[in-house]
Amino acid sequence: MKIEVDARKEACPRPVIRTKKELESIQDGIVTTIVDNEAAKDNVSKLAISLGYSFIIDKGEEDSEYYIHITKGNVNDMEVKKDIAHDMDQDHNLTIPKLDSTRGLTIAIGSNKMGNGEEELGKILMKSFIYTVRETTPFPNTIVFYNSGVYLTCEGSEVLDDLKGLVEEGVEIISCGACLDYYHLQDKIQVGEVGNMYLIYEKMKNANNTITLG
Amino acid sequence: MNTEVYGVIVFKSTHYTIQAENILREKDIGFKTIPTPREISLSCGLAILVTMDDLEIIKDMMYKGEINVLNLYKYIRDGKKNQYEKII
Repeated sequence: MKIEVDARKEACPRPVIRTKKELESIQDGIVTTIVDNEAAKDNVSKLAISLGYSFIIDKGEEDSEYYIHITKGNVNDMEVKKDIAHDMDQDHNLTIPKLDSTRGLTIAIGSNKMGNGEEELGKILMKSFIYTVRETTPFPNTIVFYNSGVYLTCEGSEVLDDLKGLVEEGVEIISCGACLDYYHLQDKIQVGEVGNMYLIYEKMKNANNTITLG
Repeated sequence: MNTEVYGVIVFKSTHYTIQAENILREKDIGFKTIPTPREISLSCGLAILVTMDDLEIIKDMMYKGEINVLNLYKYIRDGKKNQYEKII
């Protein structure tokens, strides 16, 4: 099975979401996602890493155009190579991205409210917390959002501008995919990337320090 | 470095902050809830940041008794230096 996802001209996290959907739809096979920017290439690669699938990146003809070939399940290696080689130029460069996640601070946010108690207070405290994170350097490396925390990265959230500002400063924002799905927020995400539990755990485990908040 | 100027509203209690949020939301006034800056310690822990134009509207509302405010500050943000001037 070979599926192609042409995600050129699509804004994040669409390429990741579409790739993930195709990977979920097949038992075995190769999903090739075509993207036209570095960020999308990195995010799709991270998706493959977080799902534990091997992948190869092939540079496209245009600048910043990449073909990411992700292999799921039992696909004969030769078959993969043949399939991929078919589309490639002779002197292409294969690049496997480096994952640099063993440092810094991860903030894990498991609720759209800070602490237990009255909802309106919890929500206002959370807004105030995120503002404080935005205003304080050094910034964390990663902020992961899970359970009702994902409301904060989606449409209607009052902290989107702070989170977008943090992304501009290089902070990685990850929302739990299963949680977005549960709350029917898959199409409402406005900032950062979608991750699964492997990625969330990896970010917590590899950080020098993790703050958990809920 | 650009200098940005905002209005900071501080309240007597968190309940008033939450009340003010609801009023501003109703009136479609953009705002941001922030921890009360350390430099302004005499108030509850949550303040509201608005544009200087909107601060004038809030001043009016305050005089009309529509919103319960403790103090208003002018917040001058110049790179790393933050400065607060008490207005009321």
